[in-house]
Amino acid sequence: MTNLAIQIKGLTKIYPPDNRAVDTLDLEIKEGEIMALLGPNGAGKSTTIRAASTLCGFDEGNVVVSGFDVDTNSLEVRQAIGVVAQQTGIDYFLTGRENMVLQGHLYRMKKADINDRIAELAAYFELDNSIDNLVSTYSGGMRRKLDIACALIHRPKILFLDEPTLGLDIKNRKILWKHIDKLNKEFGLTILLTTHYLEEADSLSHQVAIINNGKVQVVDTPDALKNSIHGDSITVSFDDVGKNEQGFFHYAQQQPYVKGSTWEDNKLHLYVEDGGANVAALMAIAAESQALITNLSLSRPTLDDVFLKYTGSSILETKEEEGDEWWKQWAGKGGNTGKWKSQWGAEDNAEESGEDQSWKNSDWLKEDADGIPGAKKREEAQWQQGAWSKDQQKQWSDKKDDSNPAGEQSSPQWDQSQKGDWQNNKWNKDGGEK
Amino acid sequence: MLADTWHLFNKYMRITMRMPMWTLFTLIQPLIWLLIFGQLFKDFVQLGDEDYMAFMVPGILVMTVLFGSSWSGVSLLREITAGTVDKMLVSPVSRVAIVLSRVLHSSAQVIAQAFIMLLVAWILGASLNMNPIYLIMAMLIIFLLGVGFAALSNGFAIALQREEPLVMIGNLMTLPLIFFSSALVPEQFMPDWIQLISAANPISYAVDAIRAVLSTSPDLAVFGKGLVVLTIFAGAALAWAVTAFNALRD
Repeated sequence: MTNLAIQIKGLTKIYPPDNRAVDTLDLEIKEGEIMALLGPNGAGKSTTIRAASTLCGFDEGNVVVSGFDVDTNSLEVRQAIGVVAQQTGIDYFLTGRENMVLQGHLYRMKKADINDRIAELAAYFELDNSIDNLVSTYSGGMRRKLDIACALIHRPKILFLDEPTLGLDIKNRKILWKHIDKLNKEFGLTILLTTHYLEEADSLSHQVAIINNGKVQVVDTPDALKNSIHGDSITVSFDDVGKNEQGFFHYAQQQPYVKGSTWEDNKLHLYVEDGGANVAALMAIAAESQALITNLSLSRPTLDDVFLKYTGSSILETKEEEGDEWWKQWAGKGGNTGKWKSQWGAEDNAEESGEDQSWKNSDWLKEDADGIPGAKKREEAQWQQGAWSKDQQKQWSDKKDDSNPAGEQSSPQWDQSQKGDWQNNKWNKDGGEK
Repeated sequence: MLADTWHLFNKYMRITMRMPMWTLFTLIQPLIWLLIFGQLFKDFVQLGDEDYMAFMVPGILVMTVLFGSSWSGVSLLREITAGTVDKMLVSPVSRVAIVLSRVLHSSAQVIAQAFIMLLVAWILGASLNMNPIYLIMAMLIIFLLGVGFAALSNGFAIALQREEPLVMIGNLMTLPLIFFSSALVPEQFMPDWIQLISAANPISYAVDAIRAVLSTSPDLAVFGKGLVVLTIFAGAALAWAVTAFNALRD
């Protein structure tokens, strides 16, 4: 067996009261390999990386990085790894060089060694000309490159990259891929990265691990994963899934050439042998069952189909990153860092598709009558306001029982009210009149 | 640990030096107090043969310290949000050094501010003892007070994890504590209950100690008492902040 760079066994991380961000997760990464962690928000990708990089503790399990246990030998682990978090942890009011010098000092490197290494890395990442400029003058791509350069200053053997290309344009993303690939090929760096971009996982990594609900669902090479889905992918969209559409689904499933299927809202993904030849037959079945198809597409299976199979949702539809929501930043615990993300991540994910959307659309603002879906939220928001009239207070207590079964304000609700704050002023002005 | 502290302290100082205006901005409020209250209360407060400006300057110095150091935690929260703290935590850097460098940086900043204030007061004609040895003694007290409050602010930042309540506590730590101390009003003018609070308030000891050495007739006993109380206060606050920071790993 080749040497393992990272070995994670039964990793479990529970955030109080009972949110299993990571649940008995097992993962092995061989030396010299690039592994991508794919998964929806709140799946436990970042928590896994944080646990393996000594940034957070965990409740159960065993994590060995570069031959050292992260719990008992965290110092040795820290020397062996470089970490690039989602937020660039570089100081904007320092120059690129000052950032790197500081980083070198934090790793107890000698001055001459630091200078040599800066020259080397600056050339490698094509930052030579701007290394003495303030980071605040850098572009997003340059900052990301500097961030990675900082993480490499002490010559780590393993590099953790949490969403390395998030927020970069396609050109900069490709440049960064080239660098990451080269780091792996030329210097044998083991890389564990999380990503939302299928193309990134597909072209960059040797192994892809799909994570959902804190568990690894499947690990394999991108090609093997794609081949595991037999046949071509036919996606059929409906306006509405009624009896006829269900009938079509039922009938289609029984056809010998249909090898698998997944529902995604009003979309049906069918995996069909020799799709081109059989699409006409499927259309005939649809006509027979009088199913109203609004759109149909035929393609080779992609990682997205694999993702869909194991997580039940398409990665293209998962949001970029919850940490980017400004109100979550405003909520003060810094987007994706630590406690916060993992505490809320999973719940948010469930809510975001439905409730949260309507909230953001502020449709409820336009309506006035009580009893509409927005009413509950509005009241919750009012509840936060502090200064509210007795009428409102009465209204609230009348409604409280049916609209808020939890009765008291549990944390997720508090969070929701936070979301409401930004709108409070607006509706207060209107609402005050009635 | 010391080397780590030095490198991080160096970084914070460098950033501060690049934004000198910020350091000066925090001086505006104490300056206004010095100029306006100094004039307003001059004839109102009768302190025997003592001049009110000379009485008030140590109080204003302490106020400068509080305004300067009580916000140290806010920038810690910013650093946590920005990911800078994570970047330090994944390195083998000493955890104590991270807190210590922040607190020392804040104290250094506060000493510079206090020095400017002292200079202004002296130019305005407050009758102060400007003997360098006594000045250094006063700065020592200011340093300890700065360490204590910066540590408290960092500790609260970690405990609260949110900026809004931290700002509220910062406000609470500064103004009421100043009024519940002998900073602006001599003790004999206070009602009994305020005297009681004042006696438990480290700010009172800091003000009395600074007043004792800046006075034209220095009183080393009062200074010594203040030095002991503030060393204990700063030490305890720092220990708490370091403990809180070590528990930050979630």
